[in-house]
Amino acid sequence: MNSILTRRQILQRTACGFGALALQDIARAASNPLAARIPGMVPKAKRVIFLFMGGGPSQMDLFDPKLFIERKHGQKIDSPLRKEVTQVGTDQFLALKAMAPVRPRGHSGMMISDLMPHLATVADDLCLLRGMNADNPQHAGATLQFHTGTFAEVRPSMGAWVSYGLGTENANLPSFVSIQGGGVREYGSAFLPAIHQGTKLTVPLDSKSLPVENLRNVSENDAIQRQRMDFMARMNKRLVGDLHGDANMEGMVQNMELAARMQLTTPAIVDISKESKGTLDLYGVGGKDTNTFGRACLLARKLSEAGVRFVQVSIGGWDHHGDIRGNLPKLCSQTDQPVAALLKDLKSRGLLEDTLVLWSGEFGRTPWSQDLSGKSPIEKHGREHQPESFCSWMAGGGVKGGLTYGDTDDMGYRAINGKVHIHDLHATMLHLLGIDHLKLTSRHLGRDFRLTDVYGEVVKEILA
Amino acid sequence: MKTIFFSVIFCLGVFGTTQADDIAFFESKVRPLLIQRCYECHSHDKKIKGGLALDSKPGWQTGGENGAAITPGDVNKSLLITAIRYTDSHLQMPTKGKLPLEEIAILEQWVKLGAPDPREKEVVTAVKKRVIDLKEGKKFWAFQPVSNPKPPLVKDTAWPLDPLDHFILNPLEAKGIKPVGDADRYTWLRRVSLDLTGLPPTEADVRAFERDTTQQAFENVVDRLLNSKAYGERWARHWLDLTGYADMIGTSNAVFAEHAWRYRDYLINAFNADKPFDEFVREQIAGDLMPSKSTEDRAQKITATGFLMVGDIEIVNPDKAKMETDHIDSQMIKIGQTFMGMTLGCVRCHDHKFDPIGVEDYYGIAGMLRSSPSSHKMPDMGVWSTLNSTVLPETSAQLAARKKLEAENEQRIVGFKEEQKKLTDEKAVVTKQLAALGKADAPSPQVAATDNAQRDISANADPKPDAGKDALAKRRDELDAQIKKLGETIKHAEFFKDKTPRAFAMSDGQAPADMPVYVRGNPYAPSTVVPRGAVRVASWEKFPSIPAGQSGRLQFADWLADNRNPLTARVTVNRIWQKLFATGIVPSVDYFGTRGDVPTNPELLDHLATRFMRGGWSQKAILRSLVLSRAYRLSSSNDALAMKLDPENKLFWRMNRQRLDAEAMRDSMLAISGELTRDSGGPALVLEEPDNCGALALKGVNPPNYKHSKPRPSQEFERTLYLPVLRGGTAGPDRLRAFFDFVDPAGTAGQRNQTVVPTQSLFLLSNDLLRKRATTLADKLIAAEPNELARLEALWLRVLNRPITSTEREDASSFLGNVELLIKTVKGRPALDSIKWRELCHSLLASNEFVFRL
Repeated sequence: MNSILTRRQILQRTACGFGALALQDIARAASNPLAARIPGMVPKAKRVIFLFMGGGPSQMDLFDPKLFIERKHGQKIDSPLRKEVTQVGTDQFLALKAMAPVRPRGHSGMMISDLMPHLATVADDLCLLRGMNADNPQHAGATLQFHTGTFAEVRPSMGAWVSYGLGTENANLPSFVSIQGGGVREYGSAFLPAIHQGTKLTVPLDSKSLPVENLRNVSENDAIQRQRMDFMARMNKRLVGDLHGDANMEGMVQNMELAARMQLTTPAIVDISKESKGTLDLYGVGGKDTNTFGRACLLARKLSEAGVRFVQVSIGGWDHHGDIRGNLPKLCSQTDQPVAALLKDLKSRGLLEDTLVLWSGEFGRTPWSQDLSGKSPIEKHGREHQPESFCSWMAGGGVKGGLTYGDTDDMGYRAINGKVHIHDLHATMLHLLGIDHLKLTSRHLGRDFRLTDVYGEVVKEILA
Repeated sequence: MKTIFFSVIFCLGVFGTTQADDIAFFESKVRPLLIQRCYECHSHDKKIKGGLALDSKPGWQTGGENGAAITPGDVNKSLLITAIRYTDSHLQMPTKGKLPLEEIAILEQWVKLGAPDPREKEVVTAVKKRVIDLKEGKKFWAFQPVSNPKPPLVKDTAWPLDPLDHFILNPLEAKGIKPVGDADRYTWLRRVSLDLTGLPPTEADVRAFERDTTQQAFENVVDRLLNSKAYGERWARHWLDLTGYADMIGTSNAVFAEHAWRYRDYLINAFNADKPFDEFVREQIAGDLMPSKSTEDRAQKITATGFLMVGDIEIVNPDKAKMETDHIDSQMIKIGQTFMGMTLGCVRCHDHKFDPIGVEDYYGIAGMLRSSPSSHKMPDMGVWSTLNSTVLPETSAQLAARKKLEAENEQRIVGFKEEQKKLTDEKAVVTKQLAALGKADAPSPQVAATDNAQRDISANADPKPDAGKDALAKRRDELDAQIKKLGETIKHAEFFKDKTPRAFAMSDGQAPADMPVYVRGNPYAPSTVVPRGAVRVASWEKFPSIPAGQSGRLQFADWLADNRNPLTARVTVNRIWQKLFATGIVPSVDYFGTRGDVPTNPELLDHLATRFMRGGWSQKAILRSLVLSRAYRLSSSNDALAMKLDPENKLFWRMNRQRLDAEAMRDSMLAISGELTRDSGGPALVLEEPDNCGALALKGVNPPNYKHSKPRPSQEFERTLYLPVLRGGTAGPDRLRAFFDFVDPAGTAGQRNQTVVPTQSLFLLSNDLLRKRATTLADKLIAAEPNELARLEALWLRVLNRPITSTEREDASSFLGNVELLIKTVKGRPALDSIKWRELCHSLLASNEFVFRL
């Protein structure tokens, strides 16, 4: 009984305690002059949901089919690579046609593969970028560049920059959450205040697993943990008194209370059991392929709706060096329904207009085939990495729906029109949030750093 | 618009009618195109990207960073045409997309015509190119020679314990700030123990210091600490923060850096031996080129150059020229930050925007690094390169020990192979027997079916023959598994059979040479070749000539370690000071440039730098003086008046409190629970465990990788410094590092963050690490001390290193009583005691007084 009372008391004391990251800091960040908004410009988007497709989805199979490659399927084509650059298993340079038909969809006629039937139904909400390009041909570096703008140094992630620039809409929630994310550099704050670091969340698939590390009370019961916390609080209070105050120590004292609240409230926030059956079905929760990513996308909507400024959802597995014919459909079936559901759900709640959804991998894949074994028939071939051009899309928050922007050459190797570099994408994202990417800076080692480093142009053509 | 209007009229006048057609062509076709497509980035009214202006003839004649943009009459030699044709992937304009073909044709035709351009006299104010003024630059404080100021006079002559205290007290007195009093002896003891060794004092240490009433009590403690192995372990880790050290080579694919630990162990030895820091610096850059006293010394000096090798190196870039340039850049950044407090990375692409350091300086040093290649392409491993390593010389004893080890390994392999053969033979027999049985059963299709359910049915019908068959099949599967496992074991043993000691190390390449400036850092755009040398603004004389066939690293190492170098000693003593006092005398410890902080006490900085050099660059000597000073002895408590006059404590009127760093926190917990292992060293990666190694092949698409899935059991109790540093995040028994500001090994930092975020509190509240230490500590205390009050006394001495107060005694006793009442799961005195004391121990380990050093 005792412990239940305590639990209830604690729940009553906190409105919505998840994360509740040092609220003052966030409040300060929100009024920070560095968060300079473009004068007279109303932000189109208030929050971002970033769906990261780790591994490099094949743009040619999904969004950018090439007649030339279709015709040349299985035949040798000319290599556009510099001779200093080596790839493995691509020496034959065989054209590899799309894995499934890619057709015009919606009123806009946007090209989307049969492998993404759900996404096809929301084509007119998407703004497809077919001239994306990046600088690093390897996963680690390219992933870092997508998340932080650079791959050589430790820099703040885009969610951290957004949090730093805009703070949070809900003081009881962290401003940046990374769901099923990778390494810390993908959601790190680097030299920005640590409060802007993403809170890493794992989607619990059963009642036993925890969404955040160290969340379980390890004492025999809540009352004992309470005793422990109260004892520590008394010790800490005496110490801070002896020292006549210490901001860091006082911060730690408050955080200890917050931590205890997080233990109680976090599981409730990630609990999707109270969602309607219609919603769960929409996302494919409980579906054979869609369960995990469906839950992740639904959670992203919940957090976003509750005011989390930047939600990042990651899924890997798009790295199809071999048997892309067999493997690509698997990833599509895991993600297609949940992603489309997220857009539909946001739209029906009136959230899509001020929520920017961004879908992308770290790079794309080559139009020519790759065969690491050197012995497989072309039906079993895959594709090599390609940062020279790939496809991303945005939706909602101030971008033109139904727009296909940018073109690649006949082969689909190099963007020739509507080129959008990752820096440009970052600049555009910040612009939509009402931030001038040139003005959002932080001083480090004597220099003002930006998400876009010394690059980046807002892609005005895609703004609604 | 105005300019253009005037110039059109002007130009027409000059050229008259002889070239009228060409000019008309320019005006009607070319000029509008340039305005529409190029001016946004290449005109004086907008931007001049890459230094190229296309709004006047002189603009394209001079060109930008790549030189003239047009060679009149020759389309193939005109960069502008190359760029718009989009054929060179490194030079494509406009960046947003290729021009329509007809527009490209117009510009090609224009160039073919000789690029007639009437805009000759369109005088536009040229952008002033910033020229680095070395003479002016040298006036900046950091580039001035280190001085030796006299200790200033102070009023309170009893206060200083060391000459450096004069430099502290004098400005305080001038400002009317009275420093706070000394910390109590317990606080000082804990402080100095943690700062010098990263470990708290033991109960015995506290008692000994209590008893030592001699004048030398403080010195005795300091000397004991400086002479302990733990000292080198602590300060080696500080150094590692500057290097980007990890047990992985780059960020991609967790490729293991199996020799990296040798650099870490070298550092521990170097710090413990108090190797003179100037020699230490030389070794970091050019140890392999220095004369050595012995085989061991030679091995150490080679290993020392690991400094330039251990960072986050991209070894999988398919473009090797770019990879080399990136690698050199990471070395440049590290050299600049570590020894000079300068941000050299900026200078790869352009002269430093704020500091008097030019591309000539950058490529002067880069030329030495390029003359000493650090990596090479792996012949049979896809696009991968790997770090260069050097075989270390061995003493005869080391050689004998190694040969013995290798022979033992050979024996193991022979044994495994014999075993494998035995099992394979048995399998052949079993398979044969199975086949025979199968033939006998062949008529019955039901039995031949492999479906389990069906087999069960048929087994029920006729148990005998199938029981034997099942047993055989089971045996065959067992054998298969064993053979497979053995195969992996053999592969593993063979992969690692060569035990020759190696270190990731620098060595001079085949053809050392000066290198060209790379325009915008691009290796495909080489420009003027610059002589190898050092940073001119910090130099006191011309850089010595580099003998033919040498990289120049040795000369550069001498330059860094020279007593006349204005930066090395200052940067170093400032970092040492920061470790002890939490804030540097120059607060921006890694950046002494014009945009950095100025020294809050320049005389103190120079006094310490001079003492450091005159004391033979002994780190232990300077540390000893610092921790025995009055400034270091001060309490960390607040003072209202001082707080008002100097709220940031820039003048050091009190000690700054510091949260323990990740290593000190974890190591202290282990020391307190009595579980810390003291004899560590050697490889951090658990490569002896085949499950941790990816596919161990010498050929393939990707090199073998490492996964820390099976830590060595001993690693749970080793100092954190010895645990593997993985680039993909932390794993195993060191999760604490992920929460408490461990420096990301992809970056380098002379000073760590001290963040306060709620996930840390969750960690302290619930992580297994604290729980385990608390459990051990509780059980040990219970076993050692039957009396509860004495037990409390011991607990406080161990965790907080001071006697318990009466308030705390009462508080703790009532805590124990309350917890006992709440325990529901166990009964009986020993179990109840164990749980309630564990809760108390855990509380203390998570308390602020433990987590901070005062």
